[in-house]
Amino acid sequence: MAELVKLFVNGQEVEVESGKNLIDALRVVGIEIPHFCYHPALGADGNCRMCLVGIEDGRPPLVPACKTPVQEGMKVLLDAEHIKKIQRDVLEFELINHPVDCPVCDQAGECALQDYYMNYSLDDSRMQVAQVTKGKRMDFGCGVVHDQERCVLCGRCVRFTRQITKTGELGIVNRTDAARVSIFPGKPLNNRYALNIVDICPVGAMTSSDFRFRQRVWFLKKDPGICHGCSKGCAIYIDHHREKYKDDVIYRYRARTNLNVNGYFICDDGRLSYAGENENRQTSALADGAVIGFDEGIELVRERLDRARKPLMLISPDCSLEQMWAVQRIATLYGAELSGYSDNYIIDGDGDEYLINDDKAANRRGLELLEIDFSRAQFLTGLQHTDLLVNFNNDLFFGGVDEELKSLLDKTQSIAVCSHQLQVYESASIVLPTASYSEYGGTIINEDNVLQRFEKALFKNEDPKDVLEITRLLGGAINDAPHAWPGIKQSVACLADIDPQAIPAEGIKLQNSEDTNVGA
Amino acid sequence: MSIKVRTVERKGRTFLEQLYLVEVIKGMTVTLGHFFRNLLDNSRLYVRHYPEVKPEITARWRGRHRLTRHEDGSVKCVACFMCQTNCPSNCIMIEAGERFDGKSEKMPTRFDIDLLECIYCGYCVEACPMDAIRMDTGIYSVTSYSRESMVLGLEDLLETPGAFAEEEYKKGGG
Repeated sequence: MAELVKLFVNGQEVEVESGKNLIDALRVVGIEIPHFCYHPALGADGNCRMCLVGIEDGRPPLVPACKTPVQEGMKVLLDAEHIKKIQRDVLEFELINHPVDCPVCDQAGECALQDYYMNYSLDDSRMQVAQVTKGKRMDFGCGVVHDQERCVLCGRCVRFTRQITKTGELGIVNRTDAARVSIFPGKPLNNRYALNIVDICPVGAMTSSDFRFRQRVWFLKKDPGICHGCSKGCAIYIDHHREKYKDDVIYRYRARTNLNVNGYFICDDGRLSYAGENENRQTSALADGAVIGFDEGIELVRERLDRARKPLMLISPDCSLEQMWAVQRIATLYGAELSGYSDNYIIDGDGDEYLINDDKAANRRGLELLEIDFSRAQFLTGLQHTDLLVNFNNDLFFGGVDEELKSLLDKTQSIAVCSHQLQVYESASIVLPTASYSEYGGTIINEDNVLQRFEKALFKNEDPKDVLEITRLLGGAINDAPHAWPGIKQSVACLADIDPQAIPAEGIKLQNSEDTNVGA
Repeated sequence: MSIKVRTVERKGRTFLEQLYLVEVIKGMTVTLGHFFRNLLDNSRLYVRHYPEVKPEITARWRGRHRLTRHEDGSVKCVACFMCQTNCPSNCIMIEAGERFDGKSEKMPTRFDIDLLECIYCGYCVEACPMDAIRMDTGIYSVTSYSRESMVLGLEDLLETPGAFAEEEYKKGGG
């Protein structure tokens, strides 16, 4: 915890953390200073002049809040007439050539320019001359669509490509009202984080071609979630909406700030992985290809499991800790061998130093902590000797079809509990549909040992049962996620002191996991 | 101030009234009187010959909706969803798509109004920034044999013309 300093805002005393600038420090105590160009990840640029505030201690009459660190006893003026006039004037300046096409702008509803205009200005335009027209609907590559007219030239996007991705595809060219953000001729955006530009753009100048015009943002329900795209476990917002007469579907993921894990950004692959939650889903139970009722399917699975001599259970490394625990319990119940084999989730060389990992499994640390074997040798021996394989949503062909496994799978009788229709489940004689990660809550541990909790975000019309619920229906004793925790705490030493209800939004960094890390 | 008490005379207690027959004949006299008067001269009827004679609708009447066009025939609607957002009965369903005619960047690819759910409040017309949706078709009787046909699509809404002259509509506060 950083040191606290006392300062005065509009004469009122507030206590804030030292070492931060005024915008960040005062935001924590609920005081908003309007700004366009400042972003905590990109640093203070001081070009927009929107955050000018007064300091009553003999400094120049106005200072940019983004470049002013908090000091003990500082007297900050926010609501003086001359400050309000500055804010109105800056907004009027930004709006000179702004097309005000909010009705067709995707940013409307979450636009800084719109919000600030409503909060600080509300003035009519005094311009008599025609507006400067610039490029619209410009394809910048990587799914980023740029509208130069809406741009306020804060330079966040330019700084993002220079400081964060270090690719520098963007620049501001020309001066005065001919200034515009542009790519270099023939060199579009080419990095795996480009869509973050859409998030950080304070106005509607950068839109995503994927989300463009698909929904107005005020209809979207924004629930926090965890990306299951790789073992980084980036914090995201799941923006979803149920249209009339339709089902609850996800429209987009956005980065959620979590300084323990991903900071302020997420990768494009993760951002676009929302589509996988909507499409290609397994929705009905199948027995030998024919649709059957879900309860009937459960009965069939129970029967087969009771009859099996040497069942083998396979669990997905994407499952939550609670689900893994529940499957582990039910494997003991049926005397089944349990494997977490998932080498195919590792795509060598795909990762980078930043947010993308080679390992596309969201909770491999969970497998390790619960001591679930995920070695290929164990799984292959198990598969050769088993008479019934129960696959809990593990896509064995994730990184491509494994011929050796495929021939073995074709020979084995198998049951698939799966969320998606995938090739690997085609050989299964019974298929049960299950929930995917946006449709259940739980906890996962990322590769850096950060334990994060996420809640159920989507409520489908026909809400699929998650793996944990299916184990309960198969005779398991664990009713829901909280019921799994007493057992997990007992068997995993480093989780013994965790209260699953009190995991903060930024997660908990597990300390002594190295000692208990036996499975690896 | 004292309370005024007025005793109301109870009728229908006399012998003749208890017989009913006399009273029925008295009532029928009135009915038949109207019947023969209207039969001989129907110009003095109190009711409108509804299906043949339509009522006069003013420009302010909120009738069935329509979508308007620019003078060059292109759709005015830019699919901003303001009407859908403002709709209290949630009867408007829009899907938007790209537009390349230079009028705007966005246009509706689907625009459905469920007339069975519409309460004809006119909030959609008020919310529209483009004057693209109006309720000036003068259609006040919306009937159908099936629920499905009560959902109007983009084409249905576009092809219905307005029933009033532009000045008249504007005068009506449109």
